[in-house]
Amino acid sequence: MHYQTGSGSCKVPVKRSVATDPMERIERMAAAHAVVIFSDSTCCMCHTAKRLFCSLGVSPVVYEIDQDPRGEDLSKALLRLHGGAAPVPTVFIGGKLLGAIDSVMASHINGSLVPLLKEAGALWL
Amino acid sequence: MASHRVGEPAALSDSGAPHHHLPYAIPHMLHHPSNSTFINQEGPAFDFGELEEAIILQGVKINNDDKKQHLYTAIRPAATLDMFPSWPMRFQQHTPRGSSKSGEESTDSGSALNTLSNTPESPSDHRQPPPPPPQMDAAGGIDSPRMSGSQPHPPPAKPAPEKTLRRLAQNREAARKSRLRKKAYVQQLESSRIRLAQLEQDLQRARSQGLFLGGGGAASGSISSGGAIFDMEYSRWLDDDHRHISELRTALQAHLSDSDLRVIVDGYIAHYDEIFSLKGAAAKSDVFHLITGMWTTPAERCFLWMGGFRPSDLIKMLIPQLDPLTEQQFMGICSLQHSSQQAEEALSQGLDQLQQSLVDTIANGSVNDSMHHMAVALGKLANLEGFVRQADNLRQQTLHQLHRLLTIRQAARCFLVIGEYYGRLRALSSLWASRPRESMIAEDNSCQTTSDLQMVQASQNQFSNF
Repeated sequence: MHYQTGSGSCKVPVKRSVATDPMERIERMAAAHAVVIFSDSTCCMCHTAKRLFCSLGVSPVVYEIDQDPRGEDLSKALLRLHGGAAPVPTVFIGGKLLGAIDSVMASHINGSLVPLLKEAGALWL
Repeated sequence: MASHRVGEPAALSDSGAPHHHLPYAIPHMLHHPSNSTFINQEGPAFDFGELEEAIILQGVKINNDDKKQHLYTAIRPAATLDMFPSWPMRFQQHTPRGSSKSGEESTDSGSALNTLSNTPESPSDHRQPPPPPPQMDAAGGIDSPRMSGSQPHPPPAKPAPEKTLRRLAQNREAARKSRLRKKAYVQQLESSRIRLAQLEQDLQRARSQGLFLGGGGAASGSISSGGAIFDMEYSRWLDDDHRHISELRTALQAHLSDSDLRVIVDGYIAHYDEIFSLKGAAAKSDVFHLITGMWTTPAERCFLWMGGFRPSDLIKMLIPQLDPLTEQQFMGICSLQHSSQQAEEALSQGLDQLQQSLVDTIANGSVNDSMHHMAVALGKLANLEGFVRQADNLRQQTLHQLHRLLTIRQAARCFLVIGEYYGRLRALSSLWASRPRESMIAEDNSCQTTSDLQMVQASQNQFSNF
């Protein structure tokens, strides 16, 4: 799991532009890696999402929006994106929105999650 | 003898509340030999078994007493006033017939009393005067010592054969056990009735007070309005479930066409979708009611996971029942079980983290900002609803996926199995709750079998599925 913070030294350079629309930021962050989880460090359901992907053998990249200086904007944008009950956790696979935790569960149960992960290069075999 | 009775009819009409006189009336009545014929069964919660045993024994005493005048002298004038008015007085010739029925098993005390007057004496009934029976204490504790004290011990009129003595003793035992069983059953019925009345009261209150009162508001203390409303909806859903299961069964047996079966199976899926939606609404108003399983039966509660059944366990149970499966289907269902396990594990870990976080918040609350910590704790508790919802979502997705993996006929059988399985689990809870519990009753194995069978028959409608 790789954690990205909004400021300071990061493993992956993030373009910081004040004028950047939060939605654009999300899209950019999501596209950067195979599996991206927008999370909150205090959120237990986010912990569930992370545990699930780890149990599948995937290393998701996690953005903790509560540690982002513009986390609130991101939160609002995420909520608008999938219209779920909570802004986090929100999962992107291969740059495409998978959804909130219930979508993740549903796709895993109906067997579509693993092929998606393989397609995005997050899983081999 | 009739002269003694002159005052009685007047006394009968004078007495007020009959039931109050009961404990006192009995020993007095027993002094009257002809009172062995009162047969009216309209007595309230009074235990006829005790009365009957006492009558029989007194009848034996009377029978053995050659000098019957002793009894009449022992009758106190007050006895004539305390009659049990609802019981008709039979002014028949006294014959000591009480003893003749002492040898019979007396499960139906009313009919035993009835036959008391009609059977002739038999020599086998004469026996040693027994000590005052313990049951008499319940009927008129104050009076029993008086009774035995006032009566002269009659000498045994005839020698009693050994076998008969034993038989009579065994019959007495059996009769007593039967009476105790009946008492226990009646007590259970009474407590159930009280519980039912309380539940109905809760529901009335819930309905009048509206949906969102909050968990702690209920005066009854047992369930909140949200929980009460869900319980009502759930019980209606269970009735529907029963109907759906019967429909599935008859459809399979009738070998309906696939398209007809599809309609029925789709209907069953929609039926399950409905309960998940109801649970979602209930999670908003009372998540504790759901997560503690208070809406389910005890046996289901035993296997509860996050407010409902564990999907991977259900699939594990189904796999052997779904034979024959194609290779592909089998792989698909095993994969489903595996995915479900992974999802369950992830949810359980999330819930563990929530609990840990809650524990930390509550434990670290200082006196100064306890309100703040409470507010934080409340905020964290709110996440419980999300977990129950995701668990239900998992259950729903699992059922839908099963529907996708199976042919329509297999799916119909699959849902029939599921419905019957949970029906049996619920029936198990009922049986367990109504099993005879008193150790005295448990000693007599044959009696226990009988009462178990009776209970099974009583819940016949639950078993009509099987």
